Amino acid sequence: MIFERILIFALFIAGFAAIVGIKNIIKKVFGLNLINAATVLLFILEGSRIGDQAPILADSVESMVDPVPQALMLTAIVIGVCVTALSLALAVRLYKATGSLDIEVITKRLQGEH
Amino acid sequence: MKYINTAKQIIAILLVCLVVGVVIISEHSWPEGARDYLFAHAFEDTGATNTVSAIYLGYRAMDTLGETLVLLVAITGTMAILVNLGKDTIEEEAVHFCLPPEKRAKNALRTHLLEVVSSKLGPIVLLFGFYVMLYGHISPGGGFQGGVIVASSIVFLALGTETKSKLTNTVVLSRIEAIAFLALVLASISGVFFETGFFGNPIKPETDLSANFIILLNIIIGLKVGTSIATMCIAMMGGRHDL
Repeated sequence: MIFERILIFALFIAGFAAIVGIKNIIKKVFGLNLINAATVLLFILEGSRIGDQAPILADSVESMVDPVPQALMLTAIVIGVCVTALSLALAVRLYKATGSLDIEVITKRLQGEH
Repeated sequence: MKYINTAKQIIAILLVCLVVGVVIISEHSWPEGARDYLFAHAFEDTGATNTVSAIYLGYRAMDTLGETLVLLVAITGTMAILVNLGKDTIEEEAVHFCLPPEKRAKNALRTHLLEVVSSKLGPIVLLFGFYVMLYGHISPGGGFQGGVIVASSIVFLALGTETKSKLTNTVVLSRIEAIAFLALVLASISGVFFETGFFGNPIKPETDLSANFIILLNIIIGLKVGTSIATMCIAMMGGRHDL
């Protein structure tokens, strides 16, 4: 129980470390995706704590998992796709404008223009 | 200067550890009230056996409307950013997969495996996507999941087919998306005329037909999500010659 949570925690921290620590903006987007995945996994894991059957009503179902976090995470996954697409498009735009994917080089070149 | 940056990053990671760690070590047990209520009432209230579908298309359908709005805004922004890049280098670069058939042979990244697998797999995945979309109220699946599978099949078709298909034309896909969104708004206010309120089920909940509203919403949302994500993927692959 606590073991899965620690793994998810490590996934979240890996994503955040990628966002603040790595200079390549494509890898920063990967970090955002990791954080999204960690959040989804945490919600699904916690919702499955009170049952062990899929949340589909049938005669044989007695203790189903909580469907509320699953419905919430459906939204989170779609929003994650939107965020990824938008940030990748911005990364392409920055690459076309400055010729680099390194965030420090981009900052330097954009400041140099003004 | 370099060490200061590294120290800042480490401090930031430690602070996030502090915030997220509270969630991780929490001993609070998960509440069972919502699960028990849905287990007892979801089928009578909405007509859907799949309780996840019952939540996001029955009880909280307005959240789904907001979610599709977010998707619409994200697609619009992505397309606006990508279209203004200029078309000069699109077809020459080797990184673009989605080329017209006569230029494909020159592309280094197009292997025989891609040619064979993607065009053969596309129609099967399309059928599976519609199955997941249409049976979302009684089995795992639904509009969003089926829509994403449909989008991936359209990406397969865009990568693989030799002829130019209407299905991979971004203009056609955008029109389907717009019509699906209009249909979603119309379906959302249809309950008003039957005294069930905004996003209420216009069919009486006692009858066997009440799941049909969920099926309708699943189809609309599946078309919306599928076409918008397919449009975005095709635009990112450089296949936006028609725009």
